[in-house]
Amino acid sequence: MSAQPQIELVGIDKHYGSFHALKNIDLVIPKGQFVALVGPSGCGKSTLLRSLAGLESITGGTMRIAGEVMNGVPPRKRDVAMVFQSYALYPHMTVEQNLTYSLRLKRVPRAEAKMAADEVAKTIGLQQLMHRYPRELSGGQRQRVAMGRAIIRNPKAFLFDEPLSNLDAALRVHMRKEIRALHDRLGATSVYVTHDQIEAMTMADHVVVMRDGVIEQQGSPLELYDTPATRFVGGFIGSPAMNFIPGTIAADGKSVTLDLDEGTALPIGRSLEPGRKVTVGLRPEHIEAVPGSSGQIVLPVAVVESTGSLTYLTTGGAPELTVVITGRTDIKARDTVGLTIAPERVHVFDAETERAI
Amino acid sequence: MTRVAAPKILLVLALALAAVYLFPLYWMYATSLKGASEIFANPPTFWPRDPDFSIFPATWERRTMDTFLWNSLVIATGVTTLTVLLGTGCAYVLARYRNPWIDIGLFAILMLQVLPASVMITPLYVGFNQLGLLDYPRTAVIIAAAGKSIPFYIVLVRATFMSVPSELEEAALVDGNSRWGAIFFIVLPLARNGILVLAILTFMQAFGEYIYSKSIITTQSLQPASVGLSGFLGPNSTDWNGIMAYAAMYVTPIILVFVILQRRIVSGLTSGALK
Repeated sequence: MSAQPQIELVGIDKHYGSFHALKNIDLVIPKGQFVALVGPSGCGKSTLLRSLAGLESITGGTMRIAGEVMNGVPPRKRDVAMVFQSYALYPHMTVEQNLTYSLRLKRVPRAEAKMAADEVAKTIGLQQLMHRYPRELSGGQRQRVAMGRAIIRNPKAFLFDEPLSNLDAALRVHMRKEIRALHDRLGATSVYVTHDQIEAMTMADHVVVMRDGVIEQQGSPLELYDTPATRFVGGFIGSPAMNFIPGTIAADGKSVTLDLDEGTALPIGRSLEPGRKVTVGLRPEHIEAVPGSSGQIVLPVAVVESTGSLTYLTTGGAPELTVVITGRTDIKARDTVGLTIAPERVHVFDAETERAI
Repeated sequence: MTRVAAPKILLVLALALAAVYLFPLYWMYATSLKGASEIFANPPTFWPRDPDFSIFPATWERRTMDTFLWNSLVIATGVTTLTVLLGTGCAYVLARYRNPWIDIGLFAILMLQVLPASVMITPLYVGFNQLGLLDYPRTAVIIAAAGKSIPFYIVLVRATFMSVPSELEEAALVDGNSRWGAIFFIVLPLARNGILVLAILTFMQAFGEYIYSKSIITTQSLQPASVGLSGFLGPNSTDWNGIMAYAAMYVTPIILVFVILQRRIVSGLTSGALK
């Protein structure tokens, strides 16, 4: 890793007519980092990636790749490679021709291009398929060709636009590891767009959570998990999603009175201004469940789902809370369950601004 | 009706319909080979009793068919070239950009299809006359006929372009191609079948073009074969032999082209030609 960032975005703005798609985006990506842009659909993550590729023009801000300002530079002069969601393999070219297309455009001698293609094919296991057409390949193989087409160029950055969303679940988990391993082997700089927070968490060094055209929070995967800056990030990162319960800071300032029937108080392990309206966030895997009515929150159980390794409890009535229990449990549906949570694991968000406090 | 019988019945029906459609074609060939009295025989003979093939060279010579067919070829080639050059670009733009103005443009183009040539010819004639285009009558016909065939071409080629995903173009741009390069080396090769088929259809249609040629081209040596054919029908002579021989020589090349390319034409019209 060198000191100079490979990609540097300063105050990027993008308007589509009256629609403000990207709002003042600041992002620095050091060389060799794997960055995931994650968020719900329409949050601007794909637009940001396409702006990096030069497929969309930005309306404000400065975009640098390897130190050079890229505003208004056409895609072909940016030296970035992109892997598309649909793979976008050229249907009228064989695998080999698809791989070498960018080299042929650069007028690389034929023999040299062929050598490069063979090299890449070996890296990603395509040697047997060099003379096939894309229509004769399976989804996973097409995915590899799309990757190979990016690798062969040795670009300044790899851009991935939801590359795994067309694969089935098992292959997706496999390709996740493979892409990450390839990234490490090549020492590449990658920007990876996904709507799947698991992909973002497992693959990336640095996760950028976007919503409505702004960056909600960025940081390492575990930073986002441990200290979500907003209620949205708390709910988006982690699976199953965080539970939210509205409440008010109690008179002592050290606990929250939850808006539940009996006015349950939950210690929060810090001191806040009494009377403040807040939302409490509880991760399902941090809640301990004991049968009976001995916990901090006592609720009836509506559904018990067992996967063998984990058991999911969903409580009935309001609020509907999800609890994850490692292993198995004797708790059954319609039982009453007592829930406890360590004070330092209680996330507190302001009810108005939804920011963590 | 059992399941096994259904395809057979359909086959018989198809053959019967084909026979009905193809009968006039057969009758044209048969009549051209019959003698003058046999043509009017009642009941008509299905198969010429004494086929006389000398009618073809004789008619070719007598009606200067080489000139007429050459003119048809010139006009059809001109119309096709103009249509493909202008129509392809237009269809591409209409396929790639979506906004209300594009929709209005497309609607206007479709409206052009509605106007029949016989309605258009009077204003066109007056317009061409004022522009001095009537001094170049074949060029005038090419422009008029191309104007008539372009809408059809645009609408169908646009559909072909829309079946080429724009992500392919974007991939080519990122791979290092220019906008024009992406169109020429990625989009056009993938839309090739559709373009080819429509070019052939345009050519065949222009090869038989009549109304504009008849009205605009007055010099006989510049008239296409369609107009030459109508020259047979004088007020008191009806040379059926000659008409049929002429027609046979006129349409046979078109039929041959169609038969040779028919698989391509059908597949180009029915599929997006991708994947």
